[in-house]
Amino acid sequence: MSSRGGKQKKGNVTSEQEEEEQPLQAVLVADSFNRRFFPISKDQPRALLPLGNVAMIDYTLEFLTSTGVQETFVFCCWMSNKIKDHLLKSKWCRPTSPNVVHIITSDLYRSLGDVLRDVDAKNLVRNDFILVYGDVVSNIDVSQALQEHRHRRKVDKNISVMTMVFKESSPGHKSRCEEDDVIVAMDSKSKRVLHYQKTQGLKKLQFPMNIFQHGSDEFEIRHDLLDCHISICSPQVAELFTDNFDYQTRNDFVRGILVNEEILGNQIHLYVTQDGYGARVSNLQMYDSVSSDMVRRWVYPLTPEANFTDQQGQGCTHSRHNVYRGAEVSLGHGSQMEENVLIGRDTSIGANCHISNSVIGNNCTIGDNVVLDRAHMWNNVHISSNVEIHQSVVCDGAVVKEAVRLNKQCYFSMLPVSQVVIGPNLSLPEGTVVSMHHPEEEEEDDDDEFLSDDQEVGHSKDKTRQKAFNPAEVGPEGKGYIWKASMNDTEDEELAQCLWGLVLNPDPESDSESEASEESQDRSRSVSPEIDDVNAFQLEVLGTLQRGLEENIVCDNLVLEINSLKYAYNITLKEVMQILTRVVLEYPFQQQGTQLTTLQYTGSLLPLLKTWSPVFKNYIKRAQDHLDCLSAVEELFLEQDTHQTAMVKVLMKMYQLEILEEEAILKWFSTGATNDKSRQLRKNQGLQKFIQWLKEAEDESSEEGE
Amino acid sequence: MPGADKEADLTERIEAFLADLKRGGCGTGPIRGSGETARETTALLRKVTAQARWSSAGDLMEIIRKEGRRMTAAQPSETTVGNMVLRVLKIIREEYARSRGSSEETDQQESLHKLLTSGGLSDENFRQHYVHLKANVIEAINELLTELEGTTDNIAMQALEHIHSNEVIMTVGRSRTVEAFLKDAARKRKFHVIVAECAPFCQGHEMATNLSKASIETTVIADAAIFAVMSRVNKVIIGTQTVLANGGLRAVNGTHTVALAARHHSTPLIVCAPMFKLSPQVVITTVVRNRIILSKVNVHCPVFDYVPPELITLFISNIGGNAPSYIYRLMSELYHPEDHDL
Repeated sequence: MSSRGGKQKKGNVTSEQEEEEQPLQAVLVADSFNRRFFPISKDQPRALLPLGNVAMIDYTLEFLTSTGVQETFVFCCWMSNKIKDHLLKSKWCRPTSPNVVHIITSDLYRSLGDVLRDVDAKNLVRNDFILVYGDVVSNIDVSQALQEHRHRRKVDKNISVMTMVFKESSPGHKSRCEEDDVIVAMDSKSKRVLHYQKTQGLKKLQFPMNIFQHGSDEFEIRHDLLDCHISICSPQVAELFTDNFDYQTRNDFVRGILVNEEILGNQIHLYVTQDGYGARVSNLQMYDSVSSDMVRRWVYPLTPEANFTDQQGQGCTHSRHNVYRGAEVSLGHGSQMEENVLIGRDTSIGANCHISNSVIGNNCTIGDNVVLDRAHMWNNVHISSNVEIHQSVVCDGAVVKEAVRLNKQCYFSMLPVSQVVIGPNLSLPEGTVVSMHHPEEEEEDDDDEFLSDDQEVGHSKDKTRQKAFNPAEVGPEGKGYIWKASMNDTEDEELAQCLWGLVLNPDPESDSESEASEESQDRSRSVSPEIDDVNAFQLEVLGTLQRGLEENIVCDNLVLEINSLKYAYNITLKEVMQILTRVVLEYPFQQQGTQLTTLQYTGSLLPLLKTWSPVFKNYIKRAQDHLDCLSAVEELFLEQDTHQTAMVKVLMKMYQLEILEEEAILKWFSTGATNDKSRQLRKNQGLQKFIQWLKEAEDESSEEGE
Repeated sequence: MPGADKEADLTERIEAFLADLKRGGCGTGPIRGSGETARETTALLRKVTAQARWSSAGDLMEIIRKEGRRMTAAQPSETTVGNMVLRVLKIIREEYARSRGSSEETDQQESLHKLLTSGGLSDENFRQHYVHLKANVIEAINELLTELEGTTDNIAMQALEHIHSNEVIMTVGRSRTVEAFLKDAARKRKFHVIVAECAPFCQGHEMATNLSKASIETTVIADAAIFAVMSRVNKVIIGTQTVLANGGLRAVNGTHTVALAARHHSTPLIVCAPMFKLSPQVVITTVVRNRIILSKVNVHCPVFDYVPPELITLFISNIGGNAPSYIYRLMSELYHPEDHDL
């Protein structure tokens, strides 16, 4: 790490000279890397969820553009095509746009860290840049923060690497996200961050002594700050993420920088603003509060009637009590729109409705005598008469039948083709989640969308699927699955609460452990929590080898890939070797089923060993490595006891390919036996013969040598 | 292709202007006076006239209308943009009529008799092509621009007619026009200005600083004290954001209070408003900007007041003083009735 430090400084001197001409750049991460909005986010990436009938990413881009950003890199992962389509259609991709948007997609991003490492790898940023998520809604003027940041970097010779933008707001304020609550100790004069800690779930706070002794006269400890998730970063930030491949989030980064401050000499600063509005829609609770703040015009000039996305027909009028109406809205006799209501175009509302604090999308139909309070309805929603909805999100295309009552914090998910239907005559309790996706479907799709940090969601469930909708849950004519209430499953309860951000798991690590152990009881197999990593690694190695075989990849590259996987999953070299051996030996079973005869098995395995011998040779070098490899072979054949005769052939082949040395094999044979089974194994005739042959061969060669 | 280049350049300029307008209201963008907005709009429309592809006056009007609609939609609270679009449309109509050779007077006047006899409002199709039309229109727009440049000075010049020695004058908030007006009067006369601060944005403070720099005796009062102080005031001089078609005002919040207090004490209320602020609209929209974040409290912070025409004594514009009841007449002179809805 420290060796890179020198290089960075050199690189930055030149960039500083160019500073004036360089356009301001921004990195926008259009992925949340968690599943807070699941199952809505299954069909629609979070950045495209509508907030006040406008996709969230548009707010972020508008914010960036209004601060003078001229070049934005949008990084997408989950459902990147949808985001791309949306952006290409939007005004940001018109040739006249003052902010040039580049879209970069990859399925490999798993965290903010991956994105920034990619930024560094592709060498995208040349100067200070703004880092935001695709769900940040803000009207803060960061130009002053930017100036301060640049000034600091000039004066302090690039010591400051990041300036985080915070807004003053009292603790417990509704637009403060509990997860993001931080306590910050900072130098009052230089605004330098001395200590940074998330307070969520903590009863005690600890401050290291050195922050009180670092020599400044004044410092502040603040808890009244709202994290806007806007950071002004130096190009070094991307480099630092590359150097420290374990940094996943900005939080890791900030902590890492503060811990290593004395070694690397990097500092982080804070910009606290009182004006403006900035918040990140990180869960449904935040969605609700940001949406209502927007309708109440806190984010001026990003108001619904401004139509800043410049789309045809999106405009609406603003009248007293913050009532916004789009084009062609019809309102029945006696209906009241009390206050803070936004109604999208072509929506019709029946008679005697009572609507307050709600956002209704385009093309919705609402029947008579409907009561809506703090409801968020997206597009094409159909609500029948006598429905009551309180504090709920109703997603695209959902249908709510007569006399349904949705209590607080319900939310419906959507699916483009067939939509959720609820009712009639039903009352959904608080915290219900209804989706067209069956909760248990989730696992199968996991491979491609497992982007989550919250690993507690959906690990093991039996795969029996109920296809029928439960009329007791969603009503006689209902379509859809209840996600939480009926299942009474701890996982889902947690999920639902997570969605609303009410109860937050104090310690994700301990949590995943308990989850894992629960899981293991289900499978009645004892596994330690770390096994998961090893298992995942094994799967990845298998995948890599398979691909290598199909696409004829050179063994050197396979080695590279396995090496990087090793770092990603934090696996020791010994384990790598054992897993590799195991994967290769099991490969024929994987491909052709477990019912192979010994002959078939060896027939398919031996060529494979030949192809992959360079990979083995790369990992098996020391004497101990040979023994480890052999013990892995032994372990496997102990499990597959019907194929024990194949073992000799495998060993023979490996010996011939010079993967294993004869001394190692002999040593293993003589000393390795630890229990009855392995002793049994060594009594195998073929093996005996092989060893015999080896010994003779050794004698011969030594004789020859003489 | 130079033509395509020109057009791309034009759309780029328009987009940039729209983006500016959209952010014009917030703290992040450049805050400009409406005078500047009016000038920029007109200059942009001149550019459109010069560079867009059109063969007849009808085409041009269609283009201007289209752009005008977008511009007004970008910042609905800034009416000057729409007003300038209307002015330019009117110019095109006049120039077209002149090219045709018909007299302006007959074309423009809408009498009851004419309405009854002609059947439709106008059967003019503006399709004929005239060689000099473009040059003439641009010339006329240039004249309009010159007029816009001089508005504030023209208004300020009339100050001495309205402000006398040792008067006590009240104003509210900050208006560039009023500031120039008072400063002009201060060159010859001594008087005392009371400024209502106009919370929560407190533009009044800035106004007071500027006035006192021009060595005018100035007092700042809280908005709540307006009525209490009114009895001492000889004259109220205010600016406005828009003059509406009925002679009413859409002005900064607090103006209505001042106007009512002035009416109660029979103090004359003078409004300094350049002609470009005259809008054919009668709609009232409130713009709300919020600054402080509080939870569980709804904060309403309307920016504009509507002041009914009955409370206003006199308008002072760049073409002289007018009573509110005469506004409709000015309106029909400045804008063509067919253009009122863009």
